[in-house]
Amino acid sequence: MNSRRIAALTVVFAFAGSGFFAEALADGATIKGKISWNGKPFKAKRYAMNAQCKGLHEKAGQKVPRKEKTVTNENGTTKNVFMYIKNAPKGDYPTPNAPVVLDQIGCTYVPHVFGVMAGQGILIKNSDEVSHNVHAVPNARLGKNKEFNKSQPRKGLETTESFKRAEIGVKFKCDVHPWMSARCHVMDHPFFDTTGDDGTFEITGLPPGTYSVVAWHEKHGETTVEVTVAQDETKEADLTLSRKGWAE
Amino acid sequence: MEESIYGWWLPIDISVNGHKVDLLIDMLHWFMVVIFVGWAIFFTYCLVRFRAREGHKASYETIKAKPSKYAEIFVVIFEVVLLFGLSIPTFGASRTDFPAEGDDRVEIHVVAEQFQWNVHYPGADGKFGSTSPKLVDSENLVGLDHSDPAAADDFVTAGIMHIPVDTPVVIRLTSKDVIHSFFIPIMRVKQDAIPGMAIPMQFEATRVGEYSKAIACAQLCGNNHFTMSGDLFVDTQEDYDAWLAEMASGGDEEEEEEEE
Amino acid sequence: MSGHDHHDPGFIRKYVFSVDHKVIGIQYTVTSLLFLFLGFALMMIMRAQLAYPKADFSFLENIFGEAGFVGGTMLPEFYNQLGAMHGTIMVFLGVVPLAVGGFGNYVMPLQIGAPDMAFPKLNMASYWVYFTGGVVMICSFFVEGGAAQYGWTSYPPLANTQPHLIGQTMWLVGMVFLITSSLLGSVNFIVTIVQLRVKGLTFFRLPFFVWAQFITSFLLLLAFPPLEAAGVLQLMDRVAGTSFFMPDGLIISGSPAVNAGGGNPLLWQHLFWFLAHPEVYVLILPAMGIVGEIVANNTRKPLWGYRSLVYSVIFLGFMSFIVWAHHMFMTGMGQSMSIFFQTTTMIISIPSVIILTALILSLWGGSIRFNTPMLFALSFLPMFAIGGLTGLPLGLAASDIQLHDTYYVIGHFHFVVAPGTLMALFAGVYFWYPKVTGRMMNSALGKLHWIGTLVFLNGVFIPMFVQGMAGVSRRLYDQTHYEHGQAVQEWTIASSWSAWLLGIAQIPFILNFFMSFFAGKKVDQNPWKATTLEWAAPSPPPHGNFATEPEVYRGPYEYSVPGASDDYSPQFVK
Repeated sequence: MNSRRIAALTVVFAFAGSGFFAEALADGATIKGKISWNGKPFKAKRYAMNAQCKGLHEKAGQKVPRKEKTVTNENGTTKNVFMYIKNAPKGDYPTPNAPVVLDQIGCTYVPHVFGVMAGQGILIKNSDEVSHNVHAVPNARLGKNKEFNKSQPRKGLETTESFKRAEIGVKFKCDVHPWMSARCHVMDHPFFDTTGDDGTFEITGLPPGTYSVVAWHEKHGETTVEVTVAQDETKEADLTLSRKGWAE
Repeated sequence: MEESIYGWWLPIDISVNGHKVDLLIDMLHWFMVVIFVGWAIFFTYCLVRFRAREGHKASYETIKAKPSKYAEIFVVIFEVVLLFGLSIPTFGASRTDFPAEGDDRVEIHVVAEQFQWNVHYPGADGKFGSTSPKLVDSENLVGLDHSDPAAADDFVTAGIMHIPVDTPVVIRLTSKDVIHSFFIPIMRVKQDAIPGMAIPMQFEATRVGEYSKAIACAQLCGNNHFTMSGDLFVDTQEDYDAWLAEMASGGDEEEEEEEE
Repeated sequence: MSGHDHHDPGFIRKYVFSVDHKVIGIQYTVTSLLFLFLGFALMMIMRAQLAYPKADFSFLENIFGEAGFVGGTMLPEFYNQLGAMHGTIMVFLGVVPLAVGGFGNYVMPLQIGAPDMAFPKLNMASYWVYFTGGVVMICSFFVEGGAAQYGWTSYPPLANTQPHLIGQTMWLVGMVFLITSSLLGSVNFIVTIVQLRVKGLTFFRLPFFVWAQFITSFLLLLAFPPLEAAGVLQLMDRVAGTSFFMPDGLIISGSPAVNAGGGNPLLWQHLFWFLAHPEVYVLILPAMGIVGEIVANNTRKPLWGYRSLVYSVIFLGFMSFIVWAHHMFMTGMGQSMSIFFQTTTMIISIPSVIILTALILSLWGGSIRFNTPMLFALSFLPMFAIGGLTGLPLGLAASDIQLHDTYYVIGHFHFVVAPGTLMALFAGVYFWYPKVTGRMMNSALGKLHWIGTLVFLNGVFIPMFVQGMAGVSRRLYDQTHYEHGQAVQEWTIASSWSAWLLGIAQIPFILNFFMSFFAGKKVDQNPWKATTLEWAAPSPPPHGNFATEPEVYRGPYEYSVPGASDDYSPQFVK
């Protein structure tokens, strides 16, 4: 258990954004940018939590958080947009040993949207004083990945899972708290990133070429831009989202 | 509240009709005690009196057991009385005597799912917006159709049920996934929630209070069956109206999320 | 084993794939006793979680590994597997095979004076199909995701969720085997009892045990096919994409269920309980039969009201087919249907009362010997009385509103099958052990086993009535989640400790069972001075049972006949 916790901490430090891959595959081209929000900042409703989970937030002196499908950041950008290269060169990319951490805090999943490489571990933690039950539901029609359903009846419990094949938008939900959800994107290459509180992304280590960069948003779906990069070049690819969806 | 709600026998009863259930349970248990003690005395007496010992011989003749015949007739009569006098009318009333629409009553929809009671209130207009399984997602747990004008003021809570005191409550119970069972021990009501069926049930609370986790799930529904509780708040009419108003406004600074 | 015919069939044909009803009976008995202990072991693990829901079970994690535990915490999915498999194993792999397959197979042909069952090869097939079903069930613990975890009732749609876990699929396959085995067995029993009775053995001279087996066989024959059908339908729902039990618009874990549409979850419940209610009588009738034999033998007088006992059993068997929906009062059943099933349920209580009363009245005027089988048989009476009486509030729909699906139900049916049936089965083991082995079981160890079992069984199940009254739902992994669960948690702890002590109380039995085989006192063919035909055969009976075919001259329980030289007049002595 202890060694796992240490590993988890290490990951938190080492795995900020895609910095991890930047080191692993140094000296490539980079595509970066930000996802802007066009219009009045979007304020979602707060989660309708049950009394137990409300109690957790009250105890911490906070309000219940807002729903996270669409989140506009203070700097006018959009959070929780998953960016990935659709036509990444085929290759045998090493799977990181360190897992991605999916925490359950205050009866929400942190992060709400994340990417992971096929075969890479996902360390799922319960940091709440309530029982959680993580249930991952890959698309059954595609049949690529296996569903799993693990309860974590106590604070501090951890479990590590992984997916075998690439799949966009695997749903995670907590069976105890139906409002809890997360989306996991399984990639067979390391060229992806998720926008955070600053709304930026950075995909590094790319060989030269022309790429379809896809932006995925839980509510508004996908949009694609073509970007051509030369050896070790850095290019910007900014996109804009609004209430109506992706700007053309 | 001085008196404790739960103990080693039936919990307190805060419903209008629960006393009939309690009466039946109490009578049955007194009956059991009488019958069992009667049997046990006879049984023990036989074991002692007819134990094998020197000089004691068993008799081939069996007794003509008049008392046992009387006991059996007593059992039958007692069962008939309880069956037709108490059980059938009580159970029937719980199934059929619903307060008519338009009467003073509160209607609530409860949609069970693993592992939560979603409580759907119609809002100020008193009309439930239409729902569809196609619209269900993590942010719309009952699949409310926001294009329906009746849905505009509807709201859904997560296992939190407020009801006014001294007012009949009619619940339309259904389930999204598996079979659950909606059980409020202190209200003496229980009803399975079955997917594909919408089953009405009713009760009326007589006592104001906050009853934490008073709503239980009685049917195994999966891993976290044991956490599938709900909180029951029996409010005065004023408190209930205030709570409805608060929920309808959706809080002070909230903004509706748009739906397409 | 003397009196063999010319060819020696060899070890495998003699002891493994034997067609001798006695060997098959012993195979059934030993297998089902092992399953009973397995089912009991599962329950002892559950009781740990129930009593101490927040405890660190690292010592169990070391045994069972990470599939069921994380960081010393037992997972609810593991707990649910234990619960589902405890029920399945106890009912379908333990008690029924012991009562019917074990005692029925061994004793019934002897009691009717037959050399074997009517269809010996069918009999052998029945055992090996049962064995296969048991192996499938056991194996399901070791597949990914573990064994079935949706209760022994396997209600869909819950049992249809998670089709990627094959534990439930294996459960269904296992059930199909077990049901097939029971069907083969029941046909064989019926034909044997009708066709192979010796000369003079009319139906009303049959021992009560044979009557009980006869009616039980009809129940098995008529009630099991609906469940077999239901099992196959559910299997199709899981593996072939059908939707017999899933309605439209089903949302499982936030996503529309792939194949759902047009099915009805209640269909399963009707089919399941159409079996499972008669199944209750399959569990209880052979037990009553055993108790009847032992009470008559040890009171040294005829059973009180033999004919009314027989009529009651027949009536009970018939009625048990039309009470099943009293398990379903809370499914939204309307008033007219509930009236019917409440009424039939009250009616079925009457023959049970008659049987119990007759057995108790049989004590009057007897000369009661308190040997080990008699102590167990006598304990059956009050224990079954508690089990039966506590069925009343569950059979009346209004009180069932409060008590349905609570621990009260668990207390009720366990009193029927554990302190009830199990006591009778133990009585049967002690009673017929000398017939099977030619040696007596030790009396002191037997009495130690009896008192421990009686005390601790009550210690396990009486607290459940209190829990149920308080409103605690069954199948809760941690009842202290609820305030009403916390209020009765002491009772849960008491129940758990009783269960563990009950486990210890079985040690004398296990020792006795094996040691007596070598060291028990040797006995002749009729050590209990009994009257029925099995005591006419040598102990143990050879292949073919009787040296010369016996003939029957009188009823089964002619004890203390006036003018007779002994206090018993066997059926087979002129």
